Amino acid sequence: MITLVIILPLVFGVISFAAKSRIVNRVALLGSAALFVVVALMVWLGIDWRWLPDWLLVYFRFDCIGLFFFAVMAIVFAGVSVYSLSYFSEHNLNARQESVYILEILAFVVAMAGVILATNLALLWVFVEATTLTSALLIYFEKKKSSLEATWKYIYICSIGIALAFVGIITLSIGSERIGSLFFSDLYLHASEINPVWLKLSFAFLFVGLGTKVGVAPIHAWLPDAHSEAPSPVSALLSGTLLNSAFLGILRVQVILVRADQQAFSNIILLLTGFLSLLVSAVYMLRVKNYKRMLAYSSVENMGIMFIGVGLGQPGLFAAMLQTLAHSFSKTSLFLTSGNILHSYGTKKIEDVQGLLKRDPVTGWIWMASFLAIIGIPPFPIFISKFFIIRAFWVNGQGWLAVLFFLFIVVVTFGMGKAVFRMAFGDSGIEGAGSVRPASSAYLPQIVLLAALVIVGINMPNLVNEMLSKAAAFVSSVPAPVARVAGR
Amino acid sequence: MTDILIILLGTTMLYVSSVSRIEAYVKTLAAQGFLLFLLVMVGVKEMSWLNIAFLVFETLIVKTVVIPYFLLTVIRRNETPREIEPYISQFYSLLIASGIFVFGFVAAFWAARTGGNIKPLYFGISIAIMMLSLFLIVNRKRIITHILCYMMLENGIFLLSLSVANELPMLVNIGVLLDLFVAIYLFAIFFNKINEIYDGSHVDVLTELKD
Repeated sequence: MITLVIILPLVFGVISFAAKSRIVNRVALLGSAALFVVVALMVWLGIDWRWLPDWLLVYFRFDCIGLFFFAVMAIVFAGVSVYSLSYFSEHNLNARQESVYILEILAFVVAMAGVILATNLALLWVFVEATTLTSALLIYFEKKKSSLEATWKYIYICSIGIALAFVGIITLSIGSERIGSLFFSDLYLHASEINPVWLKLSFAFLFVGLGTKVGVAPIHAWLPDAHSEAPSPVSALLSGTLLNSAFLGILRVQVILVRADQQAFSNIILLLTGFLSLLVSAVYMLRVKNYKRMLAYSSVENMGIMFIGVGLGQPGLFAAMLQTLAHSFSKTSLFLTSGNILHSYGTKKIEDVQGLLKRDPVTGWIWMASFLAIIGIPPFPIFISKFFIIRAFWVNGQGWLAVLFFLFIVVVTFGMGKAVFRMAFGDSGIEGAGSVRPASSAYLPQIVLLAALVIVGINMPNLVNEMLSKAAAFVSSVPAPVARVAGR
Repeated sequence: MTDILIILLGTTMLYVSSVSRIEAYVKTLAAQGFLLFLLVMVGVKEMSWLNIAFLVFETLIVKTVVIPYFLLTVIRRNETPREIEPYISQFYSLLIASGIFVFGFVAAFWAARTGGNIKPLYFGISIAIMMLSLFLIVNRKRIITHILCYMMLENGIFLLSLSVANELPMLVNIGVLLDLFVAIYLFAIFFNKINEIYDGSHVDVLTELKD
């Protein structure tokens, strides 16, 4: 299994890079996406399939939380791959440019799979840095002056952040000298033997490092730039999967603190940064003028909500997991749709876009529906996760924080709603309704993702519920065995 | 012997915070690589041969020769001989650097008392080197200086990792080195691009994206 997702996509990428033919390109991209989805399904069903020697398999494993994040990534990546086909044709890329794009995107996805599956903290670090390096090239794909600035800020800020995370790894191994290993299973099993002072210090460093990649305030500086300047399918992948995989890194470290009974320390940090993210996004949402940057600030907000969910401990964990899933799907849908808008209007300014529903009704309605999904109007599941978080505040006896939380969310919703409605309604400036019609690959992925969200929101399938509960139980203090679902 | 080498490493950072010729930074970087190599050699008895071979490769070849040489060629091609006027003047930045070193020694005393498995001086000086690198990054304007200071930050982290007895698995070591290498390579590529496209390669030109 691991072979399939870590090595095969890279081989596909290299083949498509060498072949430079349009057909090979499409097979490589869609084949890899299908592969990810199939592997996620097979692991869920418990089908085991080993190709690699055992000494290498020790470093990668599907555990219950890893499987959840992997499944989300696989579905988002599948949507992004299909959308990329319309990106290719709209931007008239030649076969060579396509193959470069595909090699970069496959390397990026493999690096994220490495982050999700790594069983060793230091190996996780290696892959997080690899995601920075591979995605930097993608952000600069359109080779504009502004994307160069965004890329430089992204690669430099994130590299510094990740360097500090390595300090966290070293301080952790200073504190856990008796354990003598950085494998998560050993750290979880002997968490109580780790020197608490060094453990807290290492959490602080790891939090700064991985938090930079998550894009949580106050270390989110790169996020709006990179998300707005990258090609739209890449923005979707950044927001829908990259932020999640760094978030998973923080969760894995959080589990060590939970097992060592030091979570009071980390929960405060998570709650503080979570609320700070809400504040920052609320402030910028009211003044932002570029709709892709607006979506990026919405990512800051949503990652903040996830942090708050985790920081609330046991009562908020399920909500955090549901939020992860729902945010990934709806934000992917939003960013992909923003690509259609950008193509049709040729501008990223909110004030220059009007009458989207008249000019391109399909894109317009998807844009509105995705907006409803991200702010959490029922039947979309973000309603449930936000509701659970507010309930968790009450369970923990922090009702006044719930009021604050609610206030921030209302401000963000107002700011985002104002822009979205302004873009959707009004005069399109072009005669005749439906004058623009994008290719089917430019809206099918969004429809599928939104439909999946509606299903999860109205009547959550058992499979999803079980996956979310297991992932939440993994982080909670309830002593669950370091079990893996199936496969390796 | 170890202590002298560590103090020397710290002194290189003081030197860096008071110079403005870019080539001096590169030479300091190479000197730091060599000092780290000597440090590895001093502590050689406690390690496995595979780890020693890897560390010698990393310090002597990569950190002392390859990366400084690579950055030097990049600098010479782009003709960036001097740092432009920093935000805080040389004198005050030297003063702040000394303050950071005092903090480093305080950290060393603190670390000695926590009872972790730690060599205090390693901890204090590496914390000081890291903080000073970050300070220089904030204070200096040229992008190439930022890249050089990033390498110094990495050297500080490397010094800290030498103080830990536990060895990382070889797969991880190779991954870390590969990441560092690719990062420096990409930094150089984007530095060249910024130099081509913008008028001058300092961070003040990068102000197009904001809200």
